[in-house]
Amino acid sequence: MKSKTWVPYAFLALPLTMYAIWVIFPIFQTFVLSFTNWDGVSPKFDLIGFENYKRLFSDPYFKLSLNNNVKWLLAFVFGNIPLGLGIALLLDQKFKGDRIYKTLVFLPMTLSFVVIGQIWSWMLEPRYGAINSFFRAIGLSTFAKPWLSDPKIVTYALIAAASWRQIAYAMVLFLAGLKNVPRELVEAAYVDGANKWERFWYVILPMLRPATIIAVTVNVIDSLRAFDIVYVLTRGGPFYSSSVLANYMYIQSFHNYNMGYGASIAVIQFLITFGFILVYLLTALRREESTV
Amino acid sequence: MRKFAVVLMVLLFVAVVWGKQTVVVNSYMSDPAPKQVFAELVQIFEERYPDYDIVVNTFAHEDFKTLLRTWLNSPNAPDVVTWFAGERMRYFASKGLLAPIDDIFDGGFDAYFPKAFFSSCSYDGKVYFLPQSWYWWGVYYRKSIFEKYGIKPPTTWKQFLDVCETLKKNGIIPITIGTKYLWTAAGWFDYLNMRVNGIEFHTKLTAGEIPYTDPRVKKVFEYWKQLVDRGYFLENHTAYSWQEAATFLFRGEAAMYLMGQFIKDVAPEDVKNDLDFFRFPIIDGTVGLYEDTPIDGFMIPARAKNKEGAKVFLKFIASEFAQEYFAKKLGRLAANKNVAPPDPHAEKGLQMILDSDGVMQFYDRDTNPEMATVGMNGFVQFMVTPGMLDQILENLEKERVRIFK
Repeated sequence: MKSKTWVPYAFLALPLTMYAIWVIFPIFQTFVLSFTNWDGVSPKFDLIGFENYKRLFSDPYFKLSLNNNVKWLLAFVFGNIPLGLGIALLLDQKFKGDRIYKTLVFLPMTLSFVVIGQIWSWMLEPRYGAINSFFRAIGLSTFAKPWLSDPKIVTYALIAAASWRQIAYAMVLFLAGLKNVPRELVEAAYVDGANKWERFWYVILPMLRPATIIAVTVNVIDSLRAFDIVYVLTRGGPFYSSSVLANYMYIQSFHNYNMGYGASIAVIQFLITFGFILVYLLTALRREESTV
Repeated sequence: MRKFAVVLMVLLFVAVVWGKQTVVVNSYMSDPAPKQVFAELVQIFEERYPDYDIVVNTFAHEDFKTLLRTWLNSPNAPDVVTWFAGERMRYFASKGLLAPIDDIFDGGFDAYFPKAFFSSCSYDGKVYFLPQSWYWWGVYYRKSIFEKYGIKPPTTWKQFLDVCETLKKNGIIPITIGTKYLWTAAGWFDYLNMRVNGIEFHTKLTAGEIPYTDPRVKKVFEYWKQLVDRGYFLENHTAYSWQEAATFLFRGEAAMYLMGQFIKDVAPEDVKNDLDFFRFPIIDGTVGLYEDTPIDGFMIPARAKNKEGAKVFLKFIASEFAQEYFAKKLGRLAANKNVAPPDPHAEKGLQMILDSDGVMQFYDRDTNPEMATVGMNGFVQFMVTPGMLDQILENLEKERVRIFK
């Protein structure tokens, strides 16, 4: 038996090597780049220490982008996950046409963010877009807003577009989770006199913990790496008001020829995401262990 | 059997020696009209030079701008790329990423192109840029709308404001603009600055030698503010690309658009003949008349594999025939000085430029790329929140100092 221990490693060798070359190594490269003034064009560059990071902290657009990422994060975690769970609970019942409803809610998941961005850019168009036309048609023209050009609301419009897909994602995770909740357990609670709310809170929700952990992790990552929707719909505009870190990094690196500075934004973004996920997973897993 | 093998070997050998050379051209000509005309030119070239096989890859304008940097650094660089003359070309030339093309001009650059083009097409005395066509900027307007309200094309700022007021009163959007991709706003800055402060000042400013907080820069925005405050610009312009904003003009909901001649490329057939332009109005009679005349053309990356083939192709593009073909079909001005303007509209454009006292390229072609992004963001921000002007200019100044240190 002992002689076989190398087998899994042999199978893992190839994917691990590829992972190291294509994922781990570039991460270190980015770290190194963030200490340089490379413009992405010249063959040469200088090490400039923490210059890029110093500049970050006095850069109003960096702060703005970071701030917007926080909005995305809050909306994704505290908006999309409960909404996804709610829809999953609704659709987990047997009723006529339940499959159709599930499919309809699930549909946005099959679209890429770029397509979603394009669809929403038509819907949000200020003059002739579907949303504003609808508000005007039902006599609520005060709700018809310049969604993508008002700096105060543009981020929320983008989050709404992204959530359209993200809620469906959360719903799928919870629907799968609900399938694993044993009926007997819920029925037992019912027999013991637990009301609907108690059955949900004390029986179903704890059973959904694995699904919740995945949903939160995925949503945190997705909210912090948000890029496609922003780039397609506004490019972070008007004047950076809807920018997020990934978008600002892209503009700095590829439009402004500031590879080094862009790398430092990427590093910050990486650290934030990594930190969030690490803390969350550690606490979630610890709780898992203590309940077992 | 052996004979067959020998014949096959010989055939293969011939195929290798006489086989077609491939020249890869990456192009940003993604609007249907120029794309079509360029494809026709390529076809003519291939008929005349059967040894060459031109592969054209077309990219959307905005994508092209970000991808070019990667191509120039890649070991698989394309052989020819489209680009803009001026600072945007020089930026890459200064990094050694472009191949000089002096040797394709029989009798020198001046035998083909106006002398005035040399500085925009060269770096450090060497030519790196092959001009294909150029165009003028002007205030494009709908003749039918002007006629309907008895409006004559204005020549002074005062008249221009009156025109805007008349249009607005009649429920027409006086000026359309789409600032999603920022650069359209730079057209306004260029013209206002050239009309208020002149070309010498504008050149120094784009070269990073004048603070953005200079009172003379502020004055430019005072004029701009008159238009913003009175609501003469299209509402929510930050939500639109330049083409989307142009549809307001094409539908007759807006009357004017400060734009380059290429607006005609995207205008529907029935609107094309209703479009005319006038020179940007005079603000200060003591300041000369200066215009933006961007030059478009081609470059050869330093890492191109088939530089010789690329040069043969560019030599063809520089020829009178090819320049005329392109200019005629698109109503643009050919860079080749021996080609006459293709139609009365282009003749009018050329005359306007000949009558002017000097020309620039365009803000984002005259200044450093990073400054251009920051600057144009500032211009758009000003158009939305003119009250924040001081803050915007202070920020631009901070960036200028850092970028041009």
